[in-house]
Amino acid sequence: MSSLEISSSCFNQETKLLAFEPSRKDMDEVEEKSKEVINVTTEKFPVDEVSQLVISPLCGAVSLFVGTTRNNFEGKKVISLEYEVYLPMAENEVKKICSDIRQKWPVKHIAVFHGLAHRAASLEAVSYAIDTLKAKVPIWQKEIYEESSSWKGNRVLWGIQQ
Amino acid sequence: MVEVLYFAKSAEITGVRSETISVPQEIKALQLWKEIETRHPGLADVRNQIIFAVRQEYVELGDQLLLLQPGDEIAVIPPISGG
Repeated sequence: MSSLEISSSCFNQETKLLAFEPSRKDMDEVEEKSKEVINVTTEKFPVDEVSQLVISPLCGAVSLFVGTTRNNFEGKKVISLEYEVYLPMAENEVKKICSDIRQKWPVKHIAVFHGLAHRAASLEAVSYAIDTLKAKVPIWQKEIYEESSSWKGNRVLWGIQQ
Repeated sequence: MVEVLYFAKSAEITGVRSETISVPQEIKALQLWKEIETRHPGLADVRNQIIFAVRQEYVELGDQLLLLQPGDEIAVIPPISGG
């Protein structure tokens, strides 16, 4: 399965006006670009590296959610997991979530990593990101048991906004 | 001609991950589903759990009129399990 990484910068008008001026030596005057890093992949990645992506000297906190997987379901042992993803749409839906987050909370950087692991968002944005990701991002997980398998389905409605 | 993508359970039912089909340029979502189900009768089992993504926007299997262009991508989306 291919891995996709996107980093985009968002400038607002105020930030552009505070662009580098050669005569300024005080680094506090420099505005840090807000960024989003989106990575939907089956490759492993260390959680602390994801955290590093969002740390900012302008912010006082990093909020992190780490999702893990179970080894059993209804008494059946899970032997392995398979994934499918509709990649371009998954990426777009995650971007929409990031955009919604920025409208609701004063967040600087956002990193969303989905694979066998992890995602990060900031403070109250965490719950929203997880709930919405489960409802809208087209990723599927199949549990392989000893004698059968099943595609999982999140027990949420589509939550499509009208 | 539009491209239909199948994922997860729906891909297992049809046996294909994608195919090109010919449909009218204007068609209701439910009619489009019926076209697809005619080609793959096994999909009737999952009809109530499916939603479309037309040009990567979710569309329910209902009365919404779709305006399709040649090459448009339509995905058959079973219940998702990310997160």
